[in-house]
Amino acid sequence: MVNLTIDGKEVKVGKTATIYEAAKEAGVHIPVLCYAKKLLPYGACRICLVEVEQMKGRLIPSCTTPATEGMVVTTMSDEIRKVRKTVLEFLLVNHVIECPVCDKGGECDLQDLTYEYEVISNRFEGEKFDLPKDEINPLIERNMNRCVLCGKCARVCDEVVGYGSYSFINRGFETKIATAFDRGLNCEFCGQCVSMCPVGAILPRPFKFKARPWQLKEVNSVCGYCGNGCTVTLGTKDNEVQTIRFNDKTGVNDGNLCIRGRFGASYVNSDKRLTSPLIRKNGELVEASWEEALETVATGLRDAGSSTGILSGARLTNEELFLVKGLAKAVGTGNLDHSGGECYKGVTQGLQETLGLQASTATFPQVENAKAILAIRTDFYETHPVFGMVVNQAVKRNDAQLTVIGDKQGKLTRMPHARTLQHKPGLEVNILNAMCRFLLDEGLAKIDGLQGVEELKVALADYSVDAVAAAAGVDAAAIKQTARELATVENAAILLAYGLPYTANSRELGLAAANLSLLTGIAGRAGSGLYLCGEKSNSQGAIDLQILPAAGALGASGMLKAASEGKLKALYVAAEDMLVSYPDKSLVEKALEKTSFVVVQDIFLSETARKADVVLPAASFAEKSGTVTNAERRIQRLNPGIKSPGQAKSDFAIFQALLSALGATAPADEAAAFAELSAATSGYEMVSLDMVGDQGYVWGSDNLAPEMRNLVAVAGGKAIEAKYQLVVGSSLYHSGTTSLHAKGPMAVVAEPYIEFGREDAAELKVVDGDLVKIKAAGGVISAKAKVDRRLPKGVLFAPYHFGALDLNRIYHGQAAIAVEVSK
Amino acid sequence: MDIGKIDQIIDKHDGEASSLIQILLDIQSENHWLPKEALTRVGEKLEVPMSRIQHITTFYKHFSLSPKGKHEVHVCVGTACHVRGAERILDTVQEVTGVGAGETDPDLNFSVETVSCLGCCALGPVIVVDGEIHGNVEQAETAAVLTELKQAETDEVMQQCACE
Ligand code: SF4
Ligand code: SF4
Ligand code: SF4
Ligand code: FES
Ligand code: FES
Repeated sequence: MVNLTIDGKEVKVGKTATIYEAAKEAGVHIPVLCYAKKLLPYGACRICLVEVEQMKGRLIPSCTTPATEGMVVTTMSDEIRKVRKTVLEFLLVNHVIECPVCDKGGECDLQDLTYEYEVISNRFEGEKFDLPKDEINPLIERNMNRCVLCGKCARVCDEVVGYGSYSFINRGFETKIATAFDRGLNCEFCGQCVSMCPVGAILPRPFKFKARPWQLKEVNSVCGYCGNGCTVTLGTKDNEVQTIRFNDKTGVNDGNLCIRGRFGASYVNSDKRLTSPLIRKNGELVEASWEEALETVATGLRDAGSSTGILSGARLTNEELFLVKGLAKAVGTGNLDHSGGECYKGVTQGLQETLGLQASTATFPQVENAKAILAIRTDFYETHPVFGMVVNQAVKRNDAQLTVIGDKQGKLTRMPHARTLQHKPGLEVNILNAMCRFLLDEGLAKIDGLQGVEELKVALADYSVDAVAAAAGVDAAAIKQTARELATVENAAILLAYGLPYTANSRELGLAAANLSLLTGIAGRAGSGLYLCGEKSNSQGAIDLQILPAAGALGASGMLKAASEGKLKALYVAAEDMLVSYPDKSLVEKALEKTSFVVVQDIFLSETARKADVVLPAASFAEKSGTVTNAERRIQRLNPGIKSPGQAKSDFAIFQALLSALGATAPADEAAAFAELSAATSGYEMVSLDMVGDQGYVWGSDNLAPEMRNLVAVAGGKAIEAKYQLVVGSSLYHSGTTSLHAKGPMAVVAEPYIEFGREDAAELKVVDGDLVKIKAAGGVISAKAKVDRRLPKGVLFAPYHFGALDLNRIYHGQAAIAVEVSK
Repeated sequence: MDIGKIDQIIDKHDGEASSLIQILLDIQSENHWLPKEALTRVGEKLEVPMSRIQHITTFYKHFSLSPKGKHEVHVCVGTACHVRGAERILDTVQEVTGVGAGETDPDLNFSVETVSCLGCCALGPVIVVDGEIHGNVEQAETAAVLTELKQAETDEVMQQCACE
């Protein structure tokens, strides 16, 4: 600790604090422009100058100067005021004053400081900037005539996002922030630069001229898309979510968001939202009253009884999922499942069989201090972008060694010094096995207290590093080096994302990753962690609440199979567009066709909803209260910012009404439901709602200790022999199918595509935008080609979000699909 | 510039992102300027964002983002050289080569730049032709040096024509 005096106040701060941070701690305000909590100190703007008695004769930038013992700091004097005012005068020489029409007005640091320091005239004169605006993309507008050259946009894009869109170019008076070759912005569109800019130089376009900041009501909630669970602060007005506001005080994401979180909430305002219950009459879905709809549903379910199947999405709140379970009970069926029913088996079975857990063992922020990180699949960045940014910071700021096991390249593989074990599709488990075997052979494995060591040794006979390296096309030394690092560094992390497009080998991957986490000692060690992260905002909650088939009953694929054979009487589908997102579309089609009573509860008339007998209009995340649990087990609260359109009701209210129609009881409100569910849910027993504060509440504590340490042998995959293989996955800009209704993500990726590597594209004479046909068992799909440099020869990629692509005609959950390509 | 050559330069530096400036310097000296394709290649091979390359190449005057002539002429116009007649030297350079300060001729034979002090003011006025310093130059000497180079270029062109 360091003791110093600021404006006469005694302050005690940590060793690494700067004067600015110390002042902040002491409640003393120092103005800043180029400082940001999450960025490295920079010292560009000089607005934060202060006097330090021990450093007399010059003014000291408080944001870059470390606080030292005994320092005596003065933050305001005539001299300081004069200098700050001069700094502002300089900034205002070239800056165009457009406050009346600038969207930043009211929360612009330059405007506020100019006002505070009463800069009414300027002693200097110069030409105003006259740079062209970048308005090419629909999401982010850049007007460099308003820039104060603080560098925060360039720094956040590099330090945090790891993309590197901007930098200072030229020097002296000509210095400006620019993109490469001064082209229009074409990036991840995460909007971190928007949130960092202290002035109106980088602005969110969808929000232009919508409201002045003080007219907005701010409501903290949790992003409705992925399992990262970022806090989104809704800026609402006129019962619409106008924008997402910057907030780095609440939640885990430090104010960082991805395109979906920042620009993807607009679907809640869509005029395509369902506003009334619909009932099929004479073959047509027609509007009906809630009474009629609920009555129809209750009767249908009562008739079907144990022959009902219930499929839920993983974006419902914990409270809603609790009622889903209640519904299954009331109907008398054990056929209950969520999210396609296969992809989460790495957690529910893989981790269960090895660690006795069904969740990630550690929290996201711990990864920032990891020295070795293993990402299984490069798509981890696509499914969980903001966690990906944490990885980027670990690599950039903390020199973590990142290794990626992936069948393609991607954002992660391009991080500094990243090691890529680029393998033939479907062989992830083999590589993990080889790492386990290597650790055992070399005596590096931490086998104390592990069960099944000998059995595993025997089972890994075929997984020598050399054999696996040869089969997978990976460098053997790299496998060894990675395994060694994971076992020897102080803090390490293993990351694996799961979701509907990653159904293949899910249990096996969970097992293999857990084995490795046991042999390296990662599982349960403070500072280290094994992360299995679900695709949806409440994937973990759905597992915690056990939205899973009862013993002996059917899971998702079992239900669909039975239904397709006419063996189920009713299907209840909540918040899932199975026809688009589940593997094997034909099976889903048949299931929907053959089942006499189908209920779909959703916020849009999805492809699946169109086939239903009753459609119930539900509420979006922005209209709900309740809790969700993110992929690090953090329980966080949703808060409603707007009202649902028309007669739409929250899923909670719908289930409540349905339960009472079925003669069952339901908790009175979300809070009561939480109290009931926490008592009934393992890990939640000790949690009460008031423990779920601004930072949420991590159940099982930051490091979840394994219940057991059991190695389980697992067989690897086999590469398929085909000239062209298609792998499916998630695109960075989308999440599930909901983002297809959001303007932001659609502005960047509006259509499905088939991605080719450059080599294949050249050989096939395919260029960007060409229409290509992909033929495989199950059918032919076609889409525009996209040529990039992520894919090795012979491997193609398709994102799974688009119904228009019909990808699930040929995707049945395989690791790779053998395809033929034609134009 | 040939991609193979760029790759060679990158490989010479083990494809290390930390050698970015050195790699750019090597390409600059090999090719006299940095074509966009070369920068793109460097960015991809080193996995560094293009904006960072742009930052470096626009910051240091040594780098050129537009084609440079085979012969580079730097005329010092720093204070000492200015007093000793740098302006006249610059005029002479333009007369002989036909190229003004900051320009390159269409045949890519000469590029002329001004510099502000080369740190050898006692020798002023100073010009640097293809890296070689000529101190205390008079207009006549300047003309002689450059005419010789120009003649060599013309001869080369004539020879090529003769072969055809
Ligand atoms: S939107 Fe994100 S990726 Fe794009 S420039 Fe801004 S910070 Fe970088
Ligand atoms: S655009 Fe904004 S964030 Fe970027 S340097 Fe200029 S003022 Fe700073
Ligand atoms: S989609 Fe995921 S990563 Fe993106 S903002 Fe939402 S929760 Fe965060
Ligand atoms: S805030 Fe300290 S120099 Fe900019
Ligand atoms: S002014 Fe020309 S060398 Fe110094």
